[in-house]
Amino acid sequence: MLNFARRYGTLIGFVLILVLFSARLPDTFMTARNWLNITQQLSMLMVVAAGMTIVMVMGDFDLSVGSMASLSGIVAALLFTLGYPIWLALGLALLVGLAGGLFNGVLVALTGILPFVATLATLTMFSGAAFVVSGGKTISGRAIPEAFGNFARDGVALGPVTLPNLTILAAVVVLVVFVLLEQTTFGRRLYAIGGNIEAAHLSGVKVRRLKLIAYALTGFAAALGGLMYASRVASANPTQGSGLMLNAIAAVFLGMTMSEQGEPRILATVIGVLIIGVLDNGLTQMSVDSYVRQILVGAIIVLAVAASSISKSSRR
Amino acid sequence: MTLLSLEHISKAYAGVPALRDATLSIAAGEIHALMGENGAGKSTLIKILAGVVAPDTASIRIDGSEVGIDSPATAYRLGFRFIHQELNVVPALSVAENIFLGRAYPLRAGVLIDWARLNRVAGDALRKLGIGHIDPGERMARLSLGDQMLVRISSAFLSEAGAPARLYVMDEPTAALTREESARLFAVLREIRASGNSVLYVSHRLDEVMALCDKATVLRDGRTIDTGRIADITHDDLVALMIGRRVEEAYPRPITAPSSEIALAVEGVAGEGLAATSFSVRKGEILGIAGLSGSGQRHLLRLLSGDLPVKTGRLLLDGRPHRPRGPAASWSAGVAYVPRERRSEGLVVSRPIYQNITLPHLGTQSLGGTWLTPRRERRFAVQMGNDVKLRAVGPNQRALELSGGNQQKVVFAKALSGAPRLLLLDEPTRGVDIGAKFDIYSIIRDMAAKGMAVILVSSDLAELLGMCDRIAIMRDGAITEIADAAGLAEDDLLNRCYGRNPSTAEAA
Repeated sequence: MLNFARRYGTLIGFVLILVLFSARLPDTFMTARNWLNITQQLSMLMVVAAGMTIVMVMGDFDLSVGSMASLSGIVAALLFTLGYPIWLALGLALLVGLAGGLFNGVLVALTGILPFVATLATLTMFSGAAFVVSGGKTISGRAIPEAFGNFARDGVALGPVTLPNLTILAAVVVLVVFVLLEQTTFGRRLYAIGGNIEAAHLSGVKVRRLKLIAYALTGFAAALGGLMYASRVASANPTQGSGLMLNAIAAVFLGMTMSEQGEPRILATVIGVLIIGVLDNGLTQMSVDSYVRQILVGAIIVLAVAASSISKSSRR
Repeated sequence: MTLLSLEHISKAYAGVPALRDATLSIAAGEIHALMGENGAGKSTLIKILAGVVAPDTASIRIDGSEVGIDSPATAYRLGFRFIHQELNVVPALSVAENIFLGRAYPLRAGVLIDWARLNRVAGDALRKLGIGHIDPGERMARLSLGDQMLVRISSAFLSEAGAPARLYVMDEPTAALTREESARLFAVLREIRASGNSVLYVSHRLDEVMALCDKATVLRDGRTIDTGRIADITHDDLVALMIGRRVEEAYPRPITAPSSEIALAVEGVAGEGLAATSFSVRKGEILGIAGLSGSGQRHLLRLLSGDLPVKTGRLLLDGRPHRPRGPAASWSAGVAYVPRERRSEGLVVSRPIYQNITLPHLGTQSLGGTWLTPRRERRFAVQMGNDVKLRAVGPNQRALELSGGNQQKVVFAKALSGAPRLLLLDEPTRGVDIGAKFDIYSIIRDMAAKGMAVILVSSDLAELLGMCDRIAIMRDGAITEIADAAGLAEDDLLNRCYGRNPSTAEAA
């Protein structure tokens, strides 16, 4: 019984939250429109959290994803103002994400700096770079091509409803990460590193190379999340991605509470993201103050992790 | 006079019984051996005594009166002192602080730590074990593994007012000790006995138990099988009681003689912790490596496994140069490595058995080196598991749920999966129970018969003599000599490890 609660506590909590909101908001919460809205609101966080899952599988993490998301948005917007075609501007912005992630990987895997310290440093660097490149200003208005802003507003019509492009994009990213982590030797080796780095190394897992790749992918996902954000608000400013990092890590942790071994799994991360997003959506509709909302979200994370098996090992 | 009596001790973990109505009775002034294979229930019994695990049923009496042990603090107050098998030390703290770990530090003026007294009292505890070479102020991390274990052990001998020690419980205390260190510990244990206190001694080393202990209690499958005086029982009887059947021989016989073809040639190879070394191993040969702990055995295997770089000299594998840039290159060249610490180096215990077995071989155990084929992997793992007589629920069972012997078999299954030409073994039977030991020896023999070259590092001299064709002796990071195992006696081998070769001694 206790084990059951440990394993499924987070899921049960999620269902309770859904029931509560459905009861309090009978007309607006459980509607297709609201849910499409939630998935669209969540899509950026989903993409960044999916990338975060990759490094957290190895037992590492990446604090720089938020400022990388800001930086990539700024880079794309700046290239727009310089008259670059959309595809090239976006491609270069994603490349910045890949390069930044690779830089994290070099610091962690080759230099041996702790992920916390290394990515805290790059968080500051990327954030500074975003300010330098943009001159500290928001880039918006006519500089942003209409097609770019429209992408986030459009969707694919599916009968009576329209599936937002951002939702589709996030789903594709989740699918790719799922295949990568669960179906390929790459993912298996990452889980081996996360389980026991020394044993993995002695078993012929190329730990350094895999860490480089994993961090590069996380950086890429952060950049993609940043571009989605920029598209959604049709502008870019050097701080707009900063809220993503804590929520992404929180989502992965919420997901980890659902696995017996406390391992991050991508589908569990999806639930984690949904919990954060649904709470935000429901509490906003109930007109709960946004600062109170933050306190509640934080409290729920603490509750979930405290009740789960992740804390088991620290009980002595 | 009975000091401690345990009756009707039962404990089940998630419905799986670890102890079933077990009994144990220890007299005052006795060294009592607790014997049994891994998984027999010894650890659970000790944890119950230590107040770490709550029994389902129990009747515990001390000096005839019933007591309950609900916490480690209660166990301490009752006079129990524990030396656990694992080396629980804090490397960043000093020797003295490690000795005082979990105890109250001596204070000055009620608040400030009295460092001088702390070091003095810790030094006294060390001296009780006859240890003069360890400075109580030294940082723990700077000590050798054996010395760290000695420090842990000496913490049990800390003299303290209030709760006089009555019973010392020692779980495999000699696992990381040299012979001299063990001998010193035994002398202290005999002193304890002479002073009227008792020792509960757990060890897989039967020779130790036969030499040291007065009585023995044997557990099997959580039940007390027998208890009696050591003087009345033979070595073979004790083994038979532990595993439930008679073992005719400790080591399987060689199946074939080694071939004359050389599998691995080491030519003047030097690296970290290893002076220029030359030797060769033939196909089908088992080459033993003997030596005092820390003589470079581990570095040699680490270098051959690709973990440490070759600085000078060269390796020839089947006549072709082999210069691995990492363990991955060695695995694909057909060099398999069974490291010393199976839980921290050999296995990813949180992962299923099959994933552990295929981890070094994912390149071939997948589609195009990229796509996982779990069903095929599981089938393969089951087959490899059968080859090494693995006892497990199934390929999906996680490695951490297995006993030590079965975990080691998973490590072997992993090593043998790529049909390697060179097998590197570092203490492959340490902490493995007798039944599984014989299985592992049989696997090694089978592999040698298939033409695999085997290098076996072991501190168990009888094991080296029983298994190897030749034995190389290492001292200070170099191989000093290589001798045929046939005709070598154990004490002769030990003398050579210390650098006292009888023949050269006479010549000089």
